Amino acid sequence: MDGILRFLAHSGFANATPGHLLMILVGLLFIYMAIRYEYEPLLLIPIGFGILIGNTPLIEHAGIALGLHEEGSILHFLYLGLLNGIFPSLVFLGIGAMTDFSTLIANPKLILLGAAAQLGIFMTYIGAITLGFNNLESAAIGIIGAANGPSAIFLASKLAPHLMASIVIAVYFYMALIPVIQPPIMRLLTTKEERMIKMTPPRAVSKYEKVLFPIVALLITGFIAPASLSLLGMLFLGNLLKESMVTKRLADTAKNGLHDIVTILLGVTVGATTQATTFLTAQSLYIFVLGAVAFMLSTAGGILFAKFMNIFLAKENKINPLIGAAGVSAMPESANVVQREGLKADPNNHLIMHAMAPNVSGMIGAAIAAGIIIGFLR
Amino acid sequence: MIDKLLPIDFSAIGTNHLALAVSCYVVVFLSLFLLSLVFGVLPKLRVRKLRKKMQTAGDEANSALAGTMVSGEVSAAIGLALSMYFEELHDQESAILTMRKVGKSYSPWNSKIYNVINFNRFQR
Repeated sequence: MDGILRFLAHSGFANATPGHLLMILVGLLFIYMAIRYEYEPLLLIPIGFGILIGNTPLIEHAGIALGLHEEGSILHFLYLGLLNGIFPSLVFLGIGAMTDFSTLIANPKLILLGAAAQLGIFMTYIGAITLGFNNLESAAIGIIGAANGPSAIFLASKLAPHLMASIVIAVYFYMALIPVIQPPIMRLLTTKEERMIKMTPPRAVSKYEKVLFPIVALLITGFIAPASLSLLGMLFLGNLLKESMVTKRLADTAKNGLHDIVTILLGVTVGATTQATTFLTAQSLYIFVLGAVAFMLSTAGGILFAKFMNIFLAKENKINPLIGAAGVSAMPESANVVQREGLKADPNNHLIMHAMAPNVSGMIGAAIAAGIIIGFLR
Repeated sequence: MIDKLLPIDFSAIGTNHLALAVSCYVVVFLSLFLLSLVFGVLPKLRVRKLRKKMQTAGDEANSALAGTMVSGEVSAAIGLALSMYFEELHDQESAILTMRKVGKSYSPWNSKIYNVINFNRFQR
């Protein structure tokens, strides 16, 4: 009889709270968005399913090592991958092996758009201070503006691990909503003529430049922000594996098998961290509001800086300001959004090649920003 | 309206917060600017080096030909010959048509004898 009672006490029905049910609905919403609208399905399905796993009601600390925060449980081992920054670094390795920096090398001035689009990070940091978050928490929340999951996990784990779930979920949620968030801002801040600007095609980039880029970029960024080395080191290592053309096997593993494994583990673990007991707080709500503002500000920062650059550029070198929006590093979704908006203004104007430059630069900028913030605050 | 919804306190913003935000943003900008500067200059250096290399190679070729004097008529004749050669150049085709034979190895799965619908058999 004791066994039956114990079994019933351990069952989900006995431990369910309205919070658990609400979070299960959130997980189902993520899965629905991924399958129905194909919004970042590679991320939203593992995260959505992780939310279901993390919010299946169970008794924690009953000696059976099940919960995320219980030492010895499988979920806890996976959580350590987040907490110690292992997953973000490995994701960056895969991204590096997938990324072609040619467009950025061909037109280096577009790198600045990636820097400008980090505006949301620092404005949101100030916004979070006004909402009563402390300095470290505010900086961790600000990184949502970078629209870069690995950087957000990395910074949140170092500065505010207790807010990591809300921050990371906000980043991935808004990244999935990029096609909804960005277009109105792009149209608001640009004229039809500006959206129709045709940019000169990028020049061909030699292998010599492609091989040199990850090495030089690592040295420059590493010397300035050594705290971001675990991210940028892996990013540029992955890129060198790809561009050197002599480590094809390693590059293939980094961008296919390894990246897929880490994406699954990262998604499920991030989802599982959103346990109703710790996630459903007023702070999470504020973080979601700040996250939306951060994305908008970063998008605006990139677009406005592109317009500013146009003041100094010759007519034939003008930049289509839409590509500034791709400075938020949601790759490649923001570049796709730029392409779609460009085609709406002029069906013959293909901007995706140009938009990839600020897009990859934004990714580098996000990691540098994370490193610099750690350098300032730790 | 939003200040009623959210407990916003602007007095919480200190100069240290503003200084941190601005200086971090500036450093991000500077580091990416440095990167763009390096990759803006690098191709120019490479082109200059390449030009120098070509010039050196050209000088060497000139010094080898220093003793030989080519007159204007000879140059014109060579030019005309080259022009005629390139103008009359056509793509030559072999005019051989090749039909690739597709070998089908026998398998009961693609045999006509084993077709489910075999009208000829019924007609007989």
